[in-house]
Amino acid sequence: MTTIGRVTQMTVRNTTLGNLQDNLHKMSQLQTQMSSGVKINRASDDPSGTADVLKIQGDQRLLAQYDRNAADGEAWLVTVDSALTTSLANLRKVRDLTVQGGNGALGSTSREALAQEISGLKDALLAQANTEYLGRPVFAGTVAAPAFGAADDAAGAYDFKGVDGATVTRTVASGTTVRVDSDGARVFGTGDDSVFALLDGIVATLQAGGDPSDQLDAIDDRLDAMTTELSSVGARQNQVDSAQSLIAESTVTAKTRLGAIQDVDLAQVILDLQSQEVAYKGALGAAAKVLQPTLLDFLR
Amino acid sequence: MSTFSGLGTALSSLIAQRQALEVSGQNIANANTVGYTRQRAAMASLPAATVPSMFSTSNGVGIGTAVTGIDRLGDVFLDARLRNETSGASRLAAIATEYDTLEATIGEPSKTGFSADLTSFWTTWSDVANSPGSASNRAVLLERGKAVADRLSTLYQDVSTQWDQALTTTKALVTQVNTTAANVADLNTRILSITNAGGSANELMDQRDQLITSLSSLVGATTRTNEDGSVDVMVAGNALVSGGSANALAVGAGSAASFGDAVSGGAGVSIVWARNGNAAGLDGGRVAGLLTALGPADDGGVLAAAGASLNAMATTIADSVNAIHRTAATADGTTGQDFFTIDASRPAALGLSVAITDPSGIAVAAPGQGSLDGSVGEKIAALAKAADGPDSQWSAFVVDLGVKSASSASRATVAEAARATAASAQLAQTSVDTDEETVNMLAFQRAYEGAARVLTAVDEMLDTLINRTGVVGR
Repeated sequence: MTTIGRVTQMTVRNTTLGNLQDNLHKMSQLQTQMSSGVKINRASDDPSGTADVLKIQGDQRLLAQYDRNAADGEAWLVTVDSALTTSLANLRKVRDLTVQGGNGALGSTSREALAQEISGLKDALLAQANTEYLGRPVFAGTVAAPAFGAADDAAGAYDFKGVDGATVTRTVASGTTVRVDSDGARVFGTGDDSVFALLDGIVATLQAGGDPSDQLDAIDDRLDAMTTELSSVGARQNQVDSAQSLIAESTVTAKTRLGAIQDVDLAQVILDLQSQEVAYKGALGAAAKVLQPTLLDFLR
Repeated sequence: MSTFSGLGTALSSLIAQRQALEVSGQNIANANTVGYTRQRAAMASLPAATVPSMFSTSNGVGIGTAVTGIDRLGDVFLDARLRNETSGASRLAAIATEYDTLEATIGEPSKTGFSADLTSFWTTWSDVANSPGSASNRAVLLERGKAVADRLSTLYQDVSTQWDQALTTTKALVTQVNTTAANVADLNTRILSITNAGGSANELMDQRDQLITSLSSLVGATTRTNEDGSVDVMVAGNALVSGGSANALAVGAGSAASFGDAVSGGAGVSIVWARNGNAAGLDGGRVAGLLTALGPADDGGVLAAAGASLNAMATTIADSVNAIHRTAATADGTTGQDFFTIDASRPAALGLSVAITDPSGIAVAAPGQGSLDGSVGEKIAALAKAADGPDSQWSAFVVDLGVKSASSASRATVAEAARATAASAQLAQTSVDTDEETVNMLAFQRAYEGAARVLTAVDEMLDTLINRTGVVGR
């Protein structure tokens, strides 16, 4: 009897057991995939896929952060925008009153009334300049409130508290930052050059019976500065908006790509499982047929 | 040729067939015994007495049969092939198991792995940079920093535990090898004395073969059969068992005693001969696989390599964060502070901790840019995307581990398939086929019946001769 080809009950049993084990193992793998829903359960399942999964999962968390940053930046810019719009309206009103004050026929009572109104508008303007968002002045974002000192400030009237050149930025995409505060010194001026000191001067001129018309150019300069800043804020708001829609798009893309890499194709897995089950049943049936009979069944 | 020789011939057959039937009985009894090698009664016909003498009455007919021995139907070449494949398969399986365990420890990719901790850490920097005045964000950041350090430390300790377990297993296996080798030497002695006395020691040989195969699986043993029937067991060319004596193996004196030694000291674990301390140079078996896994990183030691990667990871995180954090100012203007610190007396992955205890000590402002500036914090948050930053380093480590684990698993699978083939070839040769034994039983039974019939026939012949001769006319 040759070595190759000799078949005994033990070899049949071992082969059958091995094949059944193999079939069952494949079924359990498919079942794991189906119940976990992912193809890559550990790095060795698909090393290059793992690299992609790690990267995309990291990206997803960063995108969530960028989204939060953008929402926060949007809120800052909206606050700046509304403060600037209100300030602009106030200053235009001041300009109108100043033109009125240039009318030489005005009596002292009328001048006093104008002076009082301008003084009130100055207070409103100062309040706008000190607008805060979450406790931080939007016109001097890197320092504690307020952005501008009052008329009796220790460091001089209407002293600007912000740091020259310091900005508040939000990262809205990898490597893309947007400035979300506004430079108070450029918009309102600082100290004696500020719009508040200018208005104080107009009030004093009116009360002294003088003609404040020569201040109109200075007011126009401030109006220009505010308008310029307002358009800049609008442009930045646009930038944040488009960044937000880009983030939303990227979030969907990342989710789709992650799904394509690590999610199982359920239809395929179910089909595989079905055919594997058929194979397993076949193996069981064959085992039952092969293992049962012996020669002893046929001998009396 | 004597008158009664026919009776003797029939008797020899009766005895031989009965013995052969007993051997079949032994085979069937051991049909399911692991390691049993089927046996067969070797029968030889007995020739006629051919002593040439003057009154020799031989007519040339033989005088029956006799069982000359009980053959053991093993095949040394199949045994050798099985041992060779077992040695390789066990080594690769041990390595693949270590990779598999390590991968489970690292636990990537998942939503809760170290990469998730790391990204959360970076995004919290972004939150603190957005609102530097918020104490709660700062407290969260401190906790995230601690989570990163703790996770690294846990991972390092898990790998260290795995290394310790592998060393313990190795020591236990070496003890097992020594016990088994002593058993083989003992069996050699007993088999020799039984065969010298003319007996059959087939069952003891089965035991010995099984023990030697288990030695192959442990330390890659090979065999050399001596003329007297004893078997020498060789490990990497040197005798583990020589006849009736066994040499012991031991863990080498210069071996790494702890995971730290293997990671930083570059020392591995070695197996030596106990009697002279010379390296055993194992090249197969589970112990050889464990030694590979226990070895230093530049020698293929998977665990030491992982430990070194975790240390490098800790150093990179601490250095990259600290380098930026030192340039930043806290709310009260202090600069030059470290965020992370590494205890130099311990491995970096274990020694990494957050240096800052007070949330207000976190610095995110550029000096002179106002107390609520967050520009430097943004720079630290941007480390998440740095080309050679901690995240890409971690990803490279995980992918490298995955590639090596996948390749070691596939090598182990291939080797196991080869081992299974060798095992089934060996089993096909040695295992008992009950159908075959049934047929043998039939044949022996029929032969026994025939011999009994011959006995009856001779008896009747003799009856005619003895009782009915010379009774004519009575």
